[in-house]
Amino acid sequence: MTAMDSTEPLLQVSATSHSFGGLRVLQKVNFGVPAGSLTGLIGPNGAGKSTLFNIVSGFLLPQLGTVRFGGRDITRDTVQARTHAGLMRTFQTPKVFGKLTVRENLMMGCYRHLASGVMGNMLRSPRSRAEMQQMHAQATEAGERFGLNGVMERLAGQVPVGTQRLVELARSCLSRPRLLMLDEPSSGLNTTEIGQLRELLLRLNGEGMTILLVSHDMHLVDVASEVHVLCFGSIIASGSMTQVKQDERVREAYLGV
Amino acid sequence: MQSGRTWIWIVGLALWVALPFFATRHIVDLLVYAGLYTIAGLGVAFLLGQCGIVNLAQSVFYGIGAYCTAWFCLRHGLPSPVGFAAGIAISAGIAAVVGWPILRLSGYFLALATLALGIIGQVLFLEWDGITGGTLGIGGIPHIAPFGFAFNTPLRFYFLVWPITLLLLILHHNLLHSRNGLALRAMRDSPEAAAVLGVDIHKLKVQIFVLSAALGSVAGSLLAHYVTFVSVDSFAVDRSISFLLLAVLGGLYTVWGPVLGALFVTILPQWLSKLGDIHAFVFAAALIAAVILLPEGFGGAIRHWRRARVTK
Repeated sequence: MTAMDSTEPLLQVSATSHSFGGLRVLQKVNFGVPAGSLTGLIGPNGAGKSTLFNIVSGFLLPQLGTVRFGGRDITRDTVQARTHAGLMRTFQTPKVFGKLTVRENLMMGCYRHLASGVMGNMLRSPRSRAEMQQMHAQATEAGERFGLNGVMERLAGQVPVGTQRLVELARSCLSRPRLLMLDEPSSGLNTTEIGQLRELLLRLNGEGMTILLVSHDMHLVDVASEVHVLCFGSIIASGSMTQVKQDERVREAYLGV
Repeated sequence: MQSGRTWIWIVGLALWVALPFFATRHIVDLLVYAGLYTIAGLGVAFLLGQCGIVNLAQSVFYGIGAYCTAWFCLRHGLPSPVGFAAGIAISAGIAAVVGWPILRLSGYFLALATLALGIIGQVLFLEWDGITGGTLGIGGIPHIAPFGFAFNTPLRFYFLVWPITLLLLILHHNLLHSRNGLALRAMRDSPEAAAVLGVDIHKLKVQIFVLSAALGSVAGSLLAHYVTFVSVDSFAVDRSISFLLLAVLGGLYTVWGPVLGALFVTILPQWLSKLGDIHAFVFAAALIAAVILLPEGFGGAIRHWRRARVTK
């Protein structure tokens, strides 16, 4: 690992711009996620949140600007390289493996920490068997932690959307990321489920997980210690939720009051 | 339940041992071919079922295995494992080198790329007659004869090819139920999520393609030792289509499916040939019926039937 300036945040997005055709979606965006924080990124629909999210997670190459993670420039890294560096994302519509059981979905969360190869697995090498047992045990443990006990053997495509979100979240946590990025995790959830999600995010953050929460749901983003407001491709305000809520431009652009 | 399973295995094994003693030599010969086709078809089925890749180049790897055996065991008098190893190494090498660029493609484009490979292989087998014997072929390839016991009749070869087939099926079963197998199935459902979890999708596809090619080569080497004669006719593109056909018929999502698919494409046409000229039509009709009635192949149908029984 390269030496990291102690003042540099875990994730730092600098002067990032991106356009689709003639439409400028992001304009010199700067923001950081300090290690250990629960940072929120909010903004109305069309503000550029998803574009920014895709740039950070490696699904889109920005036209200008850099993304640094853990003190290293990852702007051009592949998705897998980012995963191995400890960056993990979820999707706006949960992407569970529908024809795998919930347990198998969770087992996939351990994938990046294991290394058995095709030949070893065909021959059921001791390592291959040990890894399967390890994945199984970790999935069971995560199932308990995330309250998925009752659905472990069901196909993930057949459980309710709220549960699928939880499966995706549990799966992401099993890969033990250094930064967990959540894309609109409350969409498709009811009020009770959003409440549970808030609790869960606070608990994970309390356990030391750095989280970047991207959402348009003000109620959920309340849990964040620091919030950045994205509007028409620019960060217009940063600070605690209370501070941000009082900002003139935020009230105008986002809250519409 | 557990003891029931054991009984199925014992009865199956007994049937398998007894079968060739009650069947005619011709049928045993077909059963040997069914074994060879299962091995080559398993490669195609695994690749298509787990990675969604249509491989129309399996005949090339089948040919490479056969010609390597002819070249090393006949021309140079080396023991048969050398032919197998050389065939596997060359096939795997070609699959890796060609697979790395073409497996970036998908769908029809990828299928066409493998078809192109199949056609190029067919032409080269014909043109390089110094090695392959061209249209005349190569005869007199030695039988596999460990410790002086020659596998030189259909009956003897039956007891060689099917244990090898079983072994390869078990190896693939293991693979499917491992970390890599899980990743393959995950990748089929959501490639984006699999990539995010750290699965190197392209590398995994290339690895499975290489494995598929190796199986084709093993089947080819066995063929050469069995019939002791190889010619380009056996390695044309239509053979690739047979392998694809048996893979689809057998069902792509079970490891055992290709066995049923291979029995279908080897035995049924022979039985139907008793009907005279009409047999090709009847076979085609049977094929269409199988595809329409069993969209997930024989393997899929059996799995559904077992699931339904369990839930009852």
